[in-house]
Amino acid sequence: MIEKEDPIISEEEAAQYDRQIRLWGLDAQKRLRGSRVLLAGLGGLGAEVAKNLILAGVKGLTLLDHEQVTEESCRAQFLVPVSARGQNRAQASLERAQNLNPMVEVHADPGRVEDKPDDFFLQFDAVCLTGCSRDLMVRVDQLCSQHRIKVFCGDVYGYYGYMFCNLGQEYSYVEEKPKVVKPSGDSSDGSGAKKAKVDPNETTMVKKTASFCTLKEALEVDWTTEKAKAALKKTPVDYFLLHVLLKFRTDKGRDPDPQSSEEDGELLRQIRSDVLDALGLSASLLNDDFISYCFSEMSPVCAVVGGVLGQEVVKALSQRDVPHRNFFFFDGRKGNGMVDYFGPN
Amino acid sequence: VFILLFPQTWKLADSLYTCKVLVVGAGGIGCELLKNLVLTGFKNIEVIDLDTIDVSNLNRQFLFQKKHVGKSKAQVAKESVLQFCPSANITAYHDSIMNPDYNVEFFRKFMLVMNALDNRAARNHVNRMCLAADVPLIESGTAGYLGQVTVIKKGLTECYECQPKPAQKTFPGCTIRNTPSEPIHCIVWAKYLFNQLFGEEDADQEVSPDTADPEAAWNPEEATARASASEKDGDVKRVSTKEWARSTGYDPIKLFNKLFKDDIMYLLTMDKLWKKRKAPTPLDWTQLENKASPQEESPASGLKDQQVLGVWGCCQLFKHSVETLRSELREKGDNAELVWDKDDPAAMDFVTSAANLRMHIFSMNMKSRFDVKSMAGNIIPAIATTNAVIAGLIVLEGLKILSGELESCRTIFLNKCPNVRKKLLVPCVLDPPSKNCYVCASKPEVTVKLNVQKTTVLSLQDRILKERFGMVAPDVQIEDGKGTILISSEEGETEANNSKYLSDFGIRNGSRLQSDDFLQDYTLLINVLHTEELERDVEFEVVGEAPDKAPPPQSNPEEVNSITNGNKDSAQPSTSSKGQPQTRKTQKLPDDLQFTEKPSLYCFFYY
Repeated sequence: MIEKEDPIISEEEAAQYDRQIRLWGLDAQKRLRGSRVLLAGLGGLGAEVAKNLILAGVKGLTLLDHEQVTEESCRAQFLVPVSARGQNRAQASLERAQNLNPMVEVHADPGRVEDKPDDFFLQFDAVCLTGCSRDLMVRVDQLCSQHRIKVFCGDVYGYYGYMFCNLGQEYSYVEEKPKVVKPSGDSSDGSGAKKAKVDPNETTMVKKTASFCTLKEALEVDWTTEKAKAALKKTPVDYFLLHVLLKFRTDKGRDPDPQSSEEDGELLRQIRSDVLDALGLSASLLNDDFISYCFSEMSPVCAVVGGVLGQEVVKALSQRDVPHRNFFFFDGRKGNGMVDYFGPN
Repeated sequence: VFILLFPQTWKLADSLYTCKVLVVGAGGIGCELLKNLVLTGFKNIEVIDLDTIDVSNLNRQFLFQKKHVGKSKAQVAKESVLQFCPSANITAYHDSIMNPDYNVEFFRKFMLVMNALDNRAARNHVNRMCLAADVPLIESGTAGYLGQVTVIKKGLTECYECQPKPAQKTFPGCTIRNTPSEPIHCIVWAKYLFNQLFGEEDADQEVSPDTADPEAAWNPEEATARASASEKDGDVKRVSTKEWARSTGYDPIKLFNKLFKDDIMYLLTMDKLWKKRKAPTPLDWTQLENKASPQEESPASGLKDQQVLGVWGCCQLFKHSVETLRSELREKGDNAELVWDKDDPAAMDFVTSAANLRMHIFSMNMKSRFDVKSMAGNIIPAIATTNAVIAGLIVLEGLKILSGELESCRTIFLNKCPNVRKKLLVPCVLDPPSKNCYVCASKPEVTVKLNVQKTTVLSLQDRILKERFGMVAPDVQIEDGKGTILISSEEGETEANNSKYLSDFGIRNGSRLQSDDFLQDYTLLINVLHTEELERDVEFEVVGEAPDKAPPPQSNPEEVNSITNGNKDSAQPSTSSKGQPQTRKTQKLPDDLQFTEKPSLYCFFYY
């Protein structure tokens, strides 16, 4: 439950959050202030999301990561100091993360997501998973959505990245719409005096609801139906690329590695054919191009995906503005960023 | 790391390691950009910013912490980046990019220049410097949830000034002085009043009733009579607002009664103005004081600044702020002037109270200090995530440029919602340079309509060449066969010419003026079109443009393609250019624009 205790925003908060309060309003800021978020994975994308949520002013952010800091991870993200080699990545990121905004409670947890008991997740209003295997994400998504905890997933593979969200079957939010100004017909007064002018900038908040499916449902779309095949033309191929990369991660326990670029490239090619085949689709749907460009977490791509993902978390916690439903795909080669829905209708 | 992967990318890796890049601005976009650049492997980065850190920056400019408030942005940004990337070679300049030290030679050092600016003047300037140095420029902007990135390469793409940008929003003098109908008119009036009383007096920022208002005249003869009477009146008879205020010792109640009672009563005598408008109601200090009831309990849920004061509350705020500003002025000594600053509490209180009192007089609902600050201070709401996305896109474009893949560069728009084609990020092919561009065409030329007998040399320099055409230090020669020098950028050389009229130099219809900015390596030929028929409050018009009309939403988006310009513009709406107020506002795009293939971003001036 998002706590709405302490309705008063301090002067310090008002001054620091001024520019964002002017955008999303005081109410949204208060809701953020009452929210606790779990962030799994402090790689390039995780660090971006952490930064964005801490700056936004959530109540608490838990950084969960069992990995150790390597030479590469120092270069991959900006929270880990260069001296932290060998330390746990979450703990190494803690200090710089906390310094981004002392008003947020930032915790570091060196554990593994898969080892956490179910009730661990219940303390959070939203959970954000990066660098997790498909099965793990599906399991956590299942658990969280049962308890009305908002779920977000995201990853970056070279030039490509995605974000997924599940805000529950009945997610309600508000949308700001311009107020309809009725023409003032008050001219009965002989001198033609007009009514006081209505501020043309006035807006009104409209209540809306949206429905989200589980990650399992989103990934297990049946492409063999006629309807699905017809929709294929308008379907971003990034969706299938995601399947390939998730399968690679499951099979190899890691992402494509520049150190073993040749064999990984081969494996990717193979997985591509297997995955599309299993879905009943032609292998030509995804050509070989992607293979050269899906290695390593590219920093600018992490920034883009982390920005979109971060903002979606902020929107969901504040229950304001239309959420992206339910995937966002970014192709850094083309500069395309697409939102699309996958799942049962 | 990926870049070491394939032979074709080794060259790119090498470029990243050896090239020098320049980041102009270390604010919202700048902080994110510096982070992305070093993490991507850029080794040699120079960053410049004239600003210091403010607490309101901390929600997004993540390289800064509370302890850094007041320090140089460029300097602290560099130090923070070195914390997580000690091997980066960063040079920081706490300076303005428009300083002549940063000449074409300086710009030529760089393989890539990236703007992270918040104002048009600097963008225009960097645009020209990059054209002069033939260095690719990545331009960008954000406002709220929206953002945009584009690439500018001389000869290949449009430059920043190829497409005319909508002019700064201005209001006619009579609207400000006589017939305000919107809160913004009252706020502009209050800012003018601040300058008249405490700051630099400006003839274009008059606050007293405008007797020459054409709307006040019942017939054309009366209009002429009014106009000439007001002109003759001039400076000889009338005492300036500041002098008058001084003579009263800046007595708040005397000021109050003049501005909010006497002047309003004067306006009421111009009865034609109130034929079809609700007439203003003058305020009387003593009456208000007697009627004053205890202030209502402030609702706890809002910010203190978001309360709307009652009339007596405004009166008190007015009185206190005048007293504070009066002391500030006295402390500074003789002939001191204050500069309005939204972050100066007394200055902000003054504008809040004065504007609200005027709104009340003209039957408008009063506004909270929070809202007044937004409008008076041209505050553009800003968040970390939008800047993060845009900065990511900037680096991706940068990599294309360094790889020599200019043809794959794009303009990319970040929308708030996906368009009909499901795109949240919309890449668009870059346009070639405009043949008629007054900046990047091979021999740039414009035609300017003005009255040669009424336009001074100073006006030409400041309003036309600097403000309108973005020159920083213009030199002007008349093409009269003698090469007469009208304006010299060397200080003092042509100062004597400033108050003279263009006609005094033989300039007439058809005359040509060659204007240069040496630093920008920019020459503009101006064709003079003499006219005696300009609209009131309009000093000149650039022929071939209609910058005034708010572009209709259905029009070709290319016409108004522009980067979010930032909040530093239109700080003081002037009355010297076109008087028609645009209906432009905020960052909300009309719905139908969201769905075109090339959504355009208008300039995000608030006012």
